[in-house]
Amino acid sequence: MTSSHLLQLEHVNHTFDAGRIVALRDVNLDFGEGESVAILGASGSGKTTLILVMCGIRTPTSGVLRWRGEPISTLRQWTDLRRTEIGIVFQDFNLFSTLTAAENVEVAMFGSGASTAERKRRVEEALDTVGLARRATHLPQELSGGERQRVAIARSIINNPKLILADEPTGNLDSKNAAAILDLMFDLQRARGSTLIMVSHAPDQARRCARHVNMKDGQVVDQTFAPARRMRRLREPSRTRLSQSQAPARAIHPHHPRRGVCRRQLHHALRLVAQCA
Amino acid sequence: MAFAVGSFITLYGLSRSVHENVERSFDEHGTDLTVKRRGIAEPFGGTIPQEIIPEIKKIPGVEDVAGQLLTFAATDNDDNVLAVGWSPDSFYWTGAPLKAGRIPKPDETKVALVGSEIARTMGKTVGDDITLLGEKFKIVGLTDYHSIINRNQVIVKLEDLQELTFRTGAVTFLSIKLENPGDQAEADRVSQAVEALDKLTVSPSEGMLRNDSLFGLLTAVSSAMAWVALFMGVLMVLNTLLMAVLERTREIGILSALGWSKERIMLALVIEGFILSAVGSVVGILLGVAGSKFLSSIPSIGRYVAVEPTIPLIAITAIAAVVLGVLGSFYPAWVATRASPAEALERA
Repeated sequence: MTSSHLLQLEHVNHTFDAGRIVALRDVNLDFGEGESVAILGASGSGKTTLILVMCGIRTPTSGVLRWRGEPISTLRQWTDLRRTEIGIVFQDFNLFSTLTAAENVEVAMFGSGASTAERKRRVEEALDTVGLARRATHLPQELSGGERQRVAIARSIINNPKLILADEPTGNLDSKNAAAILDLMFDLQRARGSTLIMVSHAPDQARRCARHVNMKDGQVVDQTFAPARRMRRLREPSRTRLSQSQAPARAIHPHHPRRGVCRRQLHHALRLVAQCA
Repeated sequence: MAFAVGSFITLYGLSRSVHENVERSFDEHGTDLTVKRRGIAEPFGGTIPQEIIPEIKKIPGVEDVAGQLLTFAATDNDDNVLAVGWSPDSFYWTGAPLKAGRIPKPDETKVALVGSEIARTMGKTVGDDITLLGEKFKIVGLTDYHSIINRNQVIVKLEDLQELTFRTGAVTFLSIKLENPGDQAEADRVSQAVEALDKLTVSPSEGMLRNDSLFGLLTAVSSAMAWVALFMGVLMVLNTLLMAVLERTREIGILSALGWSKERIMLALVIEGFILSAVGSVVGILLGVAGSKFLSSIPSIGRYVAVEPTIPLIAITAIAAVVLGVLGSFYPAWVATRASPAEALERA
């Protein structure tokens, strides 16, 4: 965890149905750059509402949200942040069924000012990063669940965001695909130095995050931090095997992952991607 | 939208064609002014006494005057054709283009010149007989006019038609040739002089239907139907986009989640409306042209009007359809931007 503040929530409350349903109750959280955070809790504890509030899709009933210390209050500010600084990964992928994988990724770039050629190049790189370069022209229904989520991840990183919000990104995947997707997300998070905030109610998945935020009835009941030893292990690249169809991202795993990926190479490759993006 | 544009072009083209074909049929006779009985709404209903012709010829500036009697007449197989009666000394005869045969001799009776189109559809040629109002007429020539009305008319001697229609000494229209057709002041003077003679109305031949109430009614009805068809098309575009917005609320929510501003989402939907309208217009133009050709090919219609959509009509219709379609897409686009992205994303 770094000391610089990326996103802060101060006394955030959110209610539905004219105040009869309280989804978030006096939430105070502070997220730094490069953090990986798991938001845990039972169904209805307010996890998804919290994620939606943190990206401005839901406006809190009261409270203040700050981005790099500056209060964010208008829809326009949130729209700009979602286009440039915040990437979102949904549980059910939320891809456009009539667009190819490449077009689904590209759609997040409209309004970025990038030229068509630039968009095409960055889309190719993003799909390559998530190991789907060869599936660029496929429609979502022609892809497996894991592949769809990787398209969604490529879309979430296409604008090189500082914050990735993932709402149960493996909720619709089998265990093998879930592990592969988590590997990909954590590798990207580490390589890019971005902040990853992930909603989950699977403790084994949450253990891969450096911080756990536990929620109950809309309140943050406690926060725990991973021990230093586990943190070191977390910083190492993933070892989960991907099947052939789930070809690992070349930029992340240029060589056989079990033989150990050179972190320097990995970071160098991803920095190149980031610079290009 | 395609059907709306197609309907508009066909219906509006039909109303325009009625006017244009009637006026073109007068133009082909080389007349400058047309004289009608004042106050008669039916185009062929009024009659003018023939004895007024010499008086009109005396008016300064008038080169020649000819009268014609028109009526729809039953012919072979109970078909109706436009029968026209010309007096033997009429200047109409000299301007009649012949495809075959000859002009009737001054002393001939019960002879006819048959338009090329009616000869073709009825299988008639020079030397055959054609029945008009129960009387047989010998076809002595086939005319080769351009206007669809003239191609479908049967020309006989004025006295023969007057006798068959019990309108002895009467004509339906008078056509005036001016000495100086380009002199508007002279045309106005002649018109005033003719109107002073009797209860007559004089109008330039190219605009003779402008004040005709029956043609006005026809134009108003067909134009109204055409506009209704076009607005129906616009409403369909609006409805289609509105449905699309409602069905795609979730997709619009995703776009919002990806950082698309409301303006950009609205623009995308308006562009979609533009594309829908533009594609609909192109398909509609093709349908309209095809529909017009189909209408013209129906004998009972094609005999009197050639429904020909003009380039300006097509262009104006296409532009109007696209503009109205784009305007119509603003409301669904506005509805789309009003949707809460959170609620949109939560929709299954």
